[in-house]
Amino acid sequence: MTPDLLIQSTIIGLSIGSIYILMALGLTLMFGMMHIINFAHGAIYMLGAFAIYYIFSQWGVPYFAAFVLAMLLLGTFGYLVERSIYRPIKGGIEPTLVALLALTTFLQAAGYPVFGQLDKHVPPVFQGTRNVLGVMISVERLMIIPMAGALVVGLYLFINKTKMGAAMRAIEQDKEAAALQGVNVHVVNGLAFAIGFALAAASGALMAPIFKLDPMMGEQPLLKAFIIIILGGLGSIPGAILGGLMLGLIDSIVATALGAEPAFLLSFVFIILLLLFKPTGLFGYAPP
Amino acid sequence: MRRLRVGVLIVLVLLMLLVPQLGGDYYVHVFALVFTNVILAASLRPSLTCGQLNIGHSAFMSIGAYASALLAKNLAVPFEVSMLCGALVAAVVGLVIGYPSLRLRGVYFAMVTVAFVEVIRLIAQLWVPLTRGMSGLSGIPKPNLLGVTLATKASQYYLALFLMLLTLLILWKLESSRLGLIWKSIGMADNLAQSLGVNIANHKLLAFMLGCFFAGVAGAFYAHFIRFLFPPEFGFLMATNILVYNYVGGRGHFAGPIVGAAFLSLLSEPFRGSAYETIFFSIAMLLTILFLPGGLITLPGKLAELRWWKSASAHSPSPAA
Repeated sequence: MTPDLLIQSTIIGLSIGSIYILMALGLTLMFGMMHIINFAHGAIYMLGAFAIYYIFSQWGVPYFAAFVLAMLLLGTFGYLVERSIYRPIKGGIEPTLVALLALTTFLQAAGYPVFGQLDKHVPPVFQGTRNVLGVMISVERLMIIPMAGALVVGLYLFINKTKMGAAMRAIEQDKEAAALQGVNVHVVNGLAFAIGFALAAASGALMAPIFKLDPMMGEQPLLKAFIIIILGGLGSIPGAILGGLMLGLIDSIVATALGAEPAFLLSFVFIILLLLFKPTGLFGYAPP
Repeated sequence: MRRLRVGVLIVLVLLMLLVPQLGGDYYVHVFALVFTNVILAASLRPSLTCGQLNIGHSAFMSIGAYASALLAKNLAVPFEVSMLCGALVAAVVGLVIGYPSLRLRGVYFAMVTVAFVEVIRLIAQLWVPLTRGMSGLSGIPKPNLLGVTLATKASQYYLALFLMLLTLLILWKLESSRLGLIWKSIGMADNLAQSLGVNIANHKLLAFMLGCFFAGVAGAFYAHFIRFLFPPEFGFLMATNILVYNYVGGRGHFAGPIVGAAFLSLLSEPFRGSAYETIFFSIAMLLTILFLPGGLITLPGKLAELRWWKSASAHSPSPAA
């Protein structure tokens, strides 16, 4: 591998890593508060990408407005899912997981009749390439890094500086105690669903101009996000960020050298070994 | 009541014995696949009883199918031996995956099994010299027993029926033994079970491996029955279907997965293979979890309760009187 190729795959790895981080952050946030894994995350990523396809490339709404609209739409959908699936099951973890799994397969299967059998393409939003450290990178891929970074910083500020964020952290520590202090657990859980779904939609919306769109497109990012949160430790936000960057780099560099499938197999072997020797992940969050 | 149940069972088995005489090859084919699904659904139950959500059961079916098919095709191993080898390979792979992930609580295991489905699919797809990858593995010999090839669909049907009944008998015996009680205790409160001296990690692993073994049996039969294997077939969708059988049928009783698998596979038969099959399955699953958490097997009880409640309220004097 030449140095140029290494630099190029590192930068591409960073941009893929930012997408993974957005996916993993929503998952880890929801896990921390409700101890559930949102299996529908991949399907929401797919819906985010299709939202961009319809709003931006079909109806001609400017990209950033379409991006925000996609996040708002799917965030609302997340709140409704909390309302109609998570809340009625009353916190039973296993039935919730299975219901979310059913929601996933429903959204994927319904995608074929609704969106059509043919792959969809979103035209490029940012044209051209830019010279970074002597290699040419497409601006499309580069722009993912600041946009995802802004969302991560926004989420960090929201969780650490606002009253709602404090309520989320309180639920993460002790749900009953938080409720006794006057936190409306249902509303805050609904908000966590909305944020998780909106972040997944944002990842899909960022990737839409780069990849082709089909109803199963969310499967790979979902599996990647699973590997990341196992790697970083369930419920740990720094773990998700570090794990996302690591997996993005591994993915891009190993995939350039050996191909995409061996890269995935390698990361799976890696997490099995990790679970063997450090079961709680890199950031040692004890599983509840 | 017990005598009634035994009677119903005997009648059902007799009816199943008569299917090849009454129906044509189409029904024989459909029912043989239903039996395979019943084996798959019932073999997931021990793991679920321990409270372990295994969302990757189709991977172990795939391992059993490929192992048995390759042994029979390349080395001319008889079906009994190749099936057993396939099932054992599936169980050993289950050990390798289960050992690290079952020591942690549920969600880790659930995520590892989901990713594992993809791993097995990719291996089957990429190991072209052995599995022929995406061209699919064809030319798998028909099953044989004691050197006699089961050439007709009807004889293969009886083989499926036999394998299903044997699997169900073994799983039922295990579940009603002390082992089943231990599994149930782990599923209800694993820390309590541990405090009473149950080695929960080992028992979870045993339940999981047992399921992998029988998934391997189902896979081996499937391979020699359909005689064509295609990697994406054993993907995420099949894995969720196996889970759906258990939930829609009901988790509370041994009959749950059997009822679920039979009911859903027969009902979804008209649109097998289309996107609507998955839509149907996922809606059935969501509705069951939200409105009938105990599954189909609790339906008669619920209806009886409803009738009792209605008649009771009709006869009781109203407070105003």
